[in-house]
Amino acid sequence: MKLLPNNTRPALLALLASAALAVPATAQTKLDIAIVGEADTFDPMMSTKDVVSIVTQHFVETLYTFDENWGVAPLLATELPTISDDGLTYTIGIREGITFHDGSTMDSADVVASLERWKTQSPRGKGVADKIASITATGPFEVTIQMSTPYSPLLSLLAFSNSAAAVYPSEILAETIENVVGTGPYMIAEHVPDQYLQLKRFDAYVSRSEPSSGGAGARKQLADEIRFIPVPDPNTRVEGLLSGQFDFADGLPSESFARIEASDVADPMLLRPFGWPIFAINHKAGLLTDLKTRQALQAALPIDDMLFAAFGDDNFFVVDGPMYPEGWTWRNDAGVDKYNQNDQAKAADLLKETGYDGTPLRILTSRQYEFHFKMAEVAKVALEAAGFAVEMNVVDWATLGQQRNDPALWDIYITHSPFLPEPALTDLYTSSSRLGWAEPEKDAIVAQFTVETDQAKRQELFAQLQQKLYDDVGFIKIGGFNALNGIRQGLTGVTATPWPFFWNASK
Amino acid sequence: MAVYIFKRILGLMVVIFLVLTIAFVIVRLAPGDPAALMLGPEASAEDAALLRTQLGLDRPILVQYLTFVFNAVQGDLGNSIFFNQPVTQVLLGRAEPTIFLSLFSLLIALVIATPVGIYAAYRRGSWLDQGAISTAMLAASIPSFWTGLMFQRYLATELGWFPASGYGGPDAGFWVRMGHLALPSIVLGIVNSALIIRFTRASMLDILGEDYIRTARSKGMGERRVILRHALKNAAIPIITVVGLTFALLVSGAVVTERVFNIPGMGNLIVSAVLRRDYPVIQGTLIVVATLYVLINLATDLLYLLVDKRVKY
Amino acid sequence: MAASSTQDASFIDLLFSRRNVLIAAILFVIIAVLCLAAPIVAPADPFKMSVRARLTEPGAQFWLGADAFGRDVASRLLYAGRVSLTIGLGVAAFSSLIGIVIGLLAGFFRRLDAPMSRLIDAMMAFPDILLAIALVSILGGSMVNVMIALSIVYAPRIARIVRASTLVIRELPYVEAARALGSSTWTIMTTHVLRNILSPIIVQATFIFAYAMLAEAGLSFLGVGVDPATPTWGTMINEGRQYIDQAAFLIVFPGLAISASVLSLQLIGDGLRDALDPRLAKDL
Repeated sequence: MKLLPNNTRPALLALLASAALAVPATAQTKLDIAIVGEADTFDPMMSTKDVVSIVTQHFVETLYTFDENWGVAPLLATELPTISDDGLTYTIGIREGITFHDGSTMDSADVVASLERWKTQSPRGKGVADKIASITATGPFEVTIQMSTPYSPLLSLLAFSNSAAAVYPSEILAETIENVVGTGPYMIAEHVPDQYLQLKRFDAYVSRSEPSSGGAGARKQLADEIRFIPVPDPNTRVEGLLSGQFDFADGLPSESFARIEASDVADPMLLRPFGWPIFAINHKAGLLTDLKTRQALQAALPIDDMLFAAFGDDNFFVVDGPMYPEGWTWRNDAGVDKYNQNDQAKAADLLKETGYDGTPLRILTSRQYEFHFKMAEVAKVALEAAGFAVEMNVVDWATLGQQRNDPALWDIYITHSPFLPEPALTDLYTSSSRLGWAEPEKDAIVAQFTVETDQAKRQELFAQLQQKLYDDVGFIKIGGFNALNGIRQGLTGVTATPWPFFWNASK
Repeated sequence: MAVYIFKRILGLMVVIFLVLTIAFVIVRLAPGDPAALMLGPEASAEDAALLRTQLGLDRPILVQYLTFVFNAVQGDLGNSIFFNQPVTQVLLGRAEPTIFLSLFSLLIALVIATPVGIYAAYRRGSWLDQGAISTAMLAASIPSFWTGLMFQRYLATELGWFPASGYGGPDAGFWVRMGHLALPSIVLGIVNSALIIRFTRASMLDILGEDYIRTARSKGMGERRVILRHALKNAAIPIITVVGLTFALLVSGAVVTERVFNIPGMGNLIVSAVLRRDYPVIQGTLIVVATLYVLINLATDLLYLLVDKRVKY
Repeated sequence: MAASSTQDASFIDLLFSRRNVLIAAILFVIIAVLCLAAPIVAPADPFKMSVRARLTEPGAQFWLGADAFGRDVASRLLYAGRVSLTIGLGVAAFSSLIGIVIGLLAGFFRRLDAPMSRLIDAMMAFPDILLAIALVSILGGSMVNVMIALSIVYAPRIARIVRASTLVIRELPYVEAARALGSSTWTIMTTHVLRNILSPIIVQATFIFAYAMLAEAGLSFLGVGVDPATPTWGTMINEGRQYIDQAAFLIVFPGLAISASVLSLQLIGDGLRDALDPRLAKDL
């Protein structure tokens, strides 16, 4: 018996040698993009997950999209629709000569069939189904949507990549689509679950001719290949980015900013502002169905500390009450005097008035997003100082997603949202959401808001809605926060958006 | 000997049957409606009812159990909820990295640990022996994810000696993929060396106490020759045993190491499956790994038979 | 009882004749006492936040630094130690209890032996962490559930030892004699067998204590352990992990605490084994 099996030494040497050659050099441009997790479906119509939107927008397209200023712009449609004066009829021209990845040609029949599926089956489509009277093909390349009531957010919904009104060939439409076929600049080449999704350039793609702006305009297909690699652990994404393994890494912890900035391999890419953390309130059952108790909650929260603990660096958050950040048309100051009171004594008084009996306030949160948990921890201390008994229920995200549908299980759950181009895309304002925030005056404002088409009037209505939100404590916006992505030095053509895309990226 | 082998295989089948049962029970113990849990928050009551029928969850538990065992024996472990693919297919896709990671780390561990263990036994009680044993114990006392994080941070990111994570891209050739396993294998190898050093040392002490070694010594043979000629010959047995024993340790280690280095192996899969509530995959991974363990144990026992004529049955 | 006071003295001498065992024992006692006395010795309230002082380096105000909420790491370390040690001790005790019952039943009743042994084999076929992950995912992540899961994982180890010893012991002349004299099975099991198998169980339980602490940290790291609001050494490392660049002390101190405890327990276990039964010394 020898000390070592004969084959050990060469195997080890080969192992070490191959480690040094881990990055292959090829003539083709390939982009490796680290994303936060595996997309559980490639059908963006059926999912509201951001990771699904990010991935699928490369191979599935919609009639409209958003430009860099979050204005709606045409994509598969020829131009913005003609809308009748009563706001009920949308006439949409469809681009000719568009080919699906399976080689078939897109026409109005495909669009109508896809929109029908969107209306009846997708989470967001179902929400407007009762306002749509009919969707018909009024020509080989023209579609007409007839509304039963005016609905101003319709175009934003048609442009949104989240629960998207995607266009598929009518032949593949089914309850679940096994192999997704789209019109996008890239097509699926290979998918190995939890390892990578490989996209190759779609050679028959016909780009729009306008200059690129956000998702709108030319999609140049600069890279030959795009590979999405699910890397659930944020630190592993950072390490991979800094070691040159990834060209882009999504959703990085704010703590890694300094390190990425100091690196000569990658640069930080700040998305400012990205979104807002939310304390969602249960209006259907439990402690917070009482207005005074909600006001006590509102008064007690130490917003500065919560945001600081959650994001660690003043560069990454802003203590800001209005529902939309500086520079957005929706921004207004209604009701914000009630934001960030950080007054536990006042909260204690309010709580006393309600005759609070010590029933625990149940906060449902997860560690999928570390900042949710951190905000909850800080809030807990302040709420306890105000006299609340607090019960933290820390579960995984899947369980949270399930438990929040049962009003018996929670008083507050924590989530967040990007700033959406259209307030009506946030369903928390409606009484039909899982929060069940119903209040007659507020509901009237919401109803009016969705049918009003005049922008100035809509802004005024939104200000009233925001006032109501603060007065009635519908849910709590904690503040604004920035998102951090990492990008390889020398990679160009990537813009900061919550749903980054790479058809104009090159290195 | 044929009777012994037959008996062992019979016993093995009973154990595998129990493994199936335990895996079934564990998943059935999950609180709540598995169908609702599998479908997630957006699902309607009708969808859940439909899935219950599809999964056979509306049938009596005994029928479910028998169907499960019947299918499992035929190699059908059900379908993954998340991937919408047969569990066996999902598992097969994850086998390569885990197998090679285990293999490499075992090799690294053997290369480090066998000589150290033998030498420690040879110099029993010396400071070298004490040092080796203490170092081994220290290595076994540090959480492996801690070591992994540190190595990843300093050896991969900072110094760039190794790929930091992952398993290569779509066009990564075999050697590139193996290169991604280098650092994780070292981490896991260090942890496992601890066990092997102690085991080899103990076995060597056994052997050094045997009569024929004493005889050899009394004949005036030099210590070095005694060790090389007689003792090492018999070291095959402990090495075989270690391979069998460390399997479970390797798989456990692989769970954590694969997670740190984002290697798409079976260990990573089960953690993801837990977070995704993909019960068929959890169940399937448990079954496959446990069955492999049982088979490897049988194989090592049979190897004994071949290597060591003294073992009688 | 078999052990008289003089034997006790020689046992202690034997145990501590190896210097590293003595050092390990002292180290472990210090750690345990500090953690138990946390309410007295902790420099601050482990839950008090001063968010603006987050990630403060170790110094006069925070001896071992402050975490992401500006909480005192030293105090948290002590309180977390209580939980981690409780989990380790609890698992050692629970799994011993389960293991003893199963092992005795298997060893004493011939009819139960085959099924019980196969059950033990089947349980041991699952790698520790894998089985623990599956169990915790089903039971839910709380301190008690983690203890239950790990106890189930480690019980077969004890059961196997108990069964093997029982098989030997029940054939010993004096046990046979006791049986002939009409002692009940129960009496025989408790007085004769238990007394004899106590040493190997104590040795094994010491190792399980150590493994359970490592496993708890591993589960917390994977995100399937104790709920994160409860400080344990494992959850502290997991939280500190994000700040590995700015505040490495956040994972260094709990890492040291785990490693020191586990190491000293393993050394003690080794020493105990050698002192209690020299024949066992060469086993794993």
